[in-house]
Amino acid sequence: MNKELLIETKQLQKKYVTDTVETTALAGVDLSITKGEFVAIMGPSGCGKSTLLNILGLLDSPSGGVFKFLGEDITNASERQRAKIRKQNLGFVFQSFNLIDELTVEENIGLPLAYLGVSKAETEKRVMEAMERMGIAHRRNHFPQQLSGGQQQRAAIARATVSNPSLILADEPTGNLDSVHGREVMALLTELNEAGTTVVMVTHSPSDAEYAHRIVNLFDGQIVTENLNVRKHVAELL
Amino acid sequence: MWQNYFKVALRNIYRNKVYAAINIAGLALGVASCLLIFLYVQDELSYESHFSKADRIVRVAGEIEHEGQVNKFALSPPVLAPILLKDYPELERVTQLANARKQTIWYKNKSYNEENLLFADSSFFHVFDYEFLAGDPATALDEPRTIVVSEQLADKYFGGAEQAIGQVLKFSRDSYMVTGVFRDQGHSHIQANAFLSRSTLDTKRQDVITDDNHWFHMNRYTYVLLRDKSQIAPFQEKLKTFAATHVTPWIKENELAANMTFMLQPLPSIHFNTVYTDDLSPAGNINYIYIFAAVAVFLLLIASINYMNLATARSAKRAKEVGLRKVVGAYRSQIIGQFIGESLLITLLAVVLALALVQILIPTFNALTGKHFDANFFLQPEIALALFAIILFIGAIAGSYPAIFLSGFKPVDVLKSDKSPKGGSAALRRTLVVIQFMISLIMIIGTIVVFSQMQFLKNRDLGFNKERILTIDIPVGDSMLVKQLPTIKQELLSNPNIESVSNSADIPAESNSTILIFAEKNGATLQNAMDVMFVDYDFVDVMGIQVKEGRNYSRNYKTDLKGGLIINEAAAKKMGWKDPIGKRIQMADWDAKVIGVVKDFHVKSLHTKVAPLILALVPESSGYLLVRLKPQNMPATIGFIQEKWQAFDTKHPMEYFFMDEHFDKQYRAEEKMLTVFGYFAGLTIFIACLGLFGLASFTAEQRTKEIGIRKVLGSSTGSIVLLLSRDFALLVLIAIVLAIPVAWYGMDKWLQDFAYRTNLSWWIFALAGFAAMSIALLTVSFQAIRAALQDPVKAIRTQ
Ligand SMILES: Nc1ncnc2c1ncn2[C@@H]1O[C@H](COP(=O)(O)OP(=O)(O)OP(=O)(O)O)[C@@H](O)[C@H]1O
Ligand SMILES: [Mg+2]
Repeated sequence: MNKELLIETKQLQKKYVTDTVETTALAGVDLSITKGEFVAIMGPSGCGKSTLLNILGLLDSPSGGVFKFLGEDITNASERQRAKIRKQNLGFVFQSFNLIDELTVEENIGLPLAYLGVSKAETEKRVMEAMERMGIAHRRNHFPQQLSGGQQQRAAIARATVSNPSLILADEPTGNLDSVHGREVMALLTELNEAGTTVVMVTHSPSDAEYAHRIVNLFDGQIVTENLNVRKHVAELL
Repeated sequence: MWQNYFKVALRNIYRNKVYAAINIAGLALGVASCLLIFLYVQDELSYESHFSKADRIVRVAGEIEHEGQVNKFALSPPVLAPILLKDYPELERVTQLANARKQTIWYKNKSYNEENLLFADSSFFHVFDYEFLAGDPATALDEPRTIVVSEQLADKYFGGAEQAIGQVLKFSRDSYMVTGVFRDQGHSHIQANAFLSRSTLDTKRQDVITDDNHWFHMNRYTYVLLRDKSQIAPFQEKLKTFAATHVTPWIKENELAANMTFMLQPLPSIHFNTVYTDDLSPAGNINYIYIFAAVAVFLLLIASINYMNLATARSAKRAKEVGLRKVVGAYRSQIIGQFIGESLLITLLAVVLALALVQILIPTFNALTGKHFDANFFLQPEIALALFAIILFIGAIAGSYPAIFLSGFKPVDVLKSDKSPKGGSAALRRTLVVIQFMISLIMIIGTIVVFSQMQFLKNRDLGFNKERILTIDIPVGDSMLVKQLPTIKQELLSNPNIESVSNSADIPAESNSTILIFAEKNGATLQNAMDVMFVDYDFVDVMGIQVKEGRNYSRNYKTDLKGGLIINEAAAKKMGWKDPIGKRIQMADWDAKVIGVVKDFHVKSLHTKVAPLILALVPESSGYLLVRLKPQNMPATIGFIQEKWQAFDTKHPMEYFFMDEHFDKQYRAEEKMLTVFGYFAGLTIFIACLGLFGLASFTAEQRTKEIGIRKVLGSSTGSIVLLLSRDFALLVLIAIVLAIPVAWYGMDKWLQDFAYRTNLSWWIFALAGFAAMSIALLTVSFQAIRAALQDPVKAIRTQ
């Protein structure tokens, strides 16, 4: 397996300052993720999982520590640089609110390509492929409100993967779904990971975490344990 | 990408029909008004621009100072022209016009009364390059008794320009040969139907000019063409010494107590001249141009504010989209571009709608302003450019705030399921609403003030009774008719529905003569320039002017002819006479005693104070025949008069008008202004209310849950409506408080233009405030009531 480091953080900190209180969401996180890994982040509510994921996904900036992406220190990168890295390397899946209501499924999925400046024909082709992979091609002209939660989430994954990102970040992707649809989504993420995409996923569900190579347990903004998912490794070895 | 933005924009418009309609309708109304105003302003500013030498032409206006009082005339004396040309080599040409006003013209067996006739020097067309359809402008007016007519006149009399040349038009005394036909291409203060050669006047000078060298004979309009426009200022400087060299010695020689100076008016500025009297055509008011331009900007601003307010208020709905676009890698600049593009799209739709609106409104607007705009005006490059500018202006102004605001959302904030961002700065939105209502209120107050001033002017006691005076315009130069006037009067009086009849040379609202008089005071002699109206024995009675002291002219006193004069109170006051009766006045061939003093009456519009005036008796005065009618059966009486008059005057069509309408005509400019302004004031408040309606429905929507809970807890519908309306009412109240001083200041200044004016009483402001508040509350409560009436259970669930 490719051992090249994709993400490396050192003493990553995040503090939220409001009028009255200062909340420490991350209190020194050291985390390294290599290319091709499937990492699950777990922990009790409010421990800082989403905060960490957002920083890893360059949606938010840390208040302290070092953050390297593909070996490059981008702790203090500008908003524009972050946007550029996001559109070239990252794909996101959230628990809900994944799609733009005013765009059809097809248009939603094509959005990252539009911002990348991909040609119309190429976009059409890649969007079609992504939709077919996720099994929602027959819904291409529907608006998000006309889809079920599972279909919406699959569309979201299609959008997250259409630009062939090297890293997919997913924040509780199955949180709003029933177990059948949840398993479907996890299968899709696994498939992507097997095709070479790095996946970092926040989850509350131990069964979802089972799909990952490695499980990072967060508590009060710090990593308490990091476990290799032995079963998965064994399965892969076999 | 743009395709994507475009789709989203259209779908947003489609899904939020009410808000989109408010925005588009408001902007369309604003843009439509703006276009109409632009047309009007452009038209007003286009005066003289078709003359290719316009920037080198100036008019020399004469100012006569007398006893510390300066009379400024657009006119100057005939003697001025040759001297100017001799003294100043920088002048290429000097040309003069004399007003021939209205004349009857005969051609074959037709006769018409033609207005706007001017005598012009042969050099006139060298200075003003009219386009000639026939004839040679260089020589057309060289010979006496030649005439250059307008295209319309040529069509009317001869059926075309070519046919007109060489034809002869007969005036009351002379016949003139047509030597040219010009086309009226654009706006000019010179509104001429025909130019008659001035050299004609030299052949019968005794009629028009008595003394060619008299500097105070102000009866010409003198235009100067400079060789270079940069010489205008130096020339004005040089003119300062002109009077000292040429006029002052003459004044001394003739022992006159007056001074003269000459001022220059650049040709393009003449249309807006309100300083110099006796101009060729009524002046435009440059202030109205400023006011209308401001109104246009205000309307756009108010509509733009609607857009800004609704876009930011509803930003929560767009926040998620912004967040997601950023997540997939959109730059902030791209999102700003998207939202500005969206506002441009809305503006574009509004502009298209506005163009349609203008098409519908143009006839009405033409009727209101008395202009002749073409419905295809927008094909003009200037208008197209203006439209483009408007789209950019609104797109940028209205679009940039929401764009910057919305693009600032952070995805981590907006994509949280439990939190949605606040709809922009509520304080800013409130401020903008206050501004909108302030502007609307100022305009409403302005409309009410102008309206009440107009009513005041019309209802004010003029010192004479202007009702039911039928006034016949007696054709000039028909001596037979003048001789028969006493008989005509006699026959008219045989009708019991005719109270009295008078013939006079002058009437109110028409310019009258100013004559130098010599009056006694404490044994000394005072020199004064005084307004004089030439009237007959019956004028005072017919007009209903009150005699305060002494008596009216009477046929029983032979000495009244040239030996008696009637003055008004203002004249007595000016002379400082405590006991005016019997005081001596000399003027022209009068050597007279004051036999009566009449109460001041208004000869001019109420813009000016009643001036000192002499009513001089000339029984054969033949400018107008004034017929005072009884209120009974007026149409029949008018028919009777017409029949009688035409029996005596078989040559001219009878022209008549009513004195009250004629007098009120002087306020027509203000009235037009009032109507147009009134419409725009209505529009501003309407557009402002559209915005308020949108904001109110937004607030109601936002507070649906709160309203539901309150209702469950037992709140009455009334208290909920109050709750929702209170905030808006407060904003309107603040606007009222802020608008009143501004409006008071502005309208007070406007009223200063009138010598007689209504009070800025408190009720005007109260009325405007009440009106604005009622309209605003009506708008808001519609939404509030709707919100208050909905099912509380449903309201709580759906959040
Ligand atoms: N914008 C913010 N301002 C202030 N405090 C915040 C903000 N966002 C998060 N926090 C705080 O930071 C801490 C970590 O939040 P975070 O959303 O990362 O938790 P989480 O582990 O994702 O929880 P959950 O499982 O419930 O999603 C919490 O205590 C939260 O209250
Ligand atoms: Mg979370």
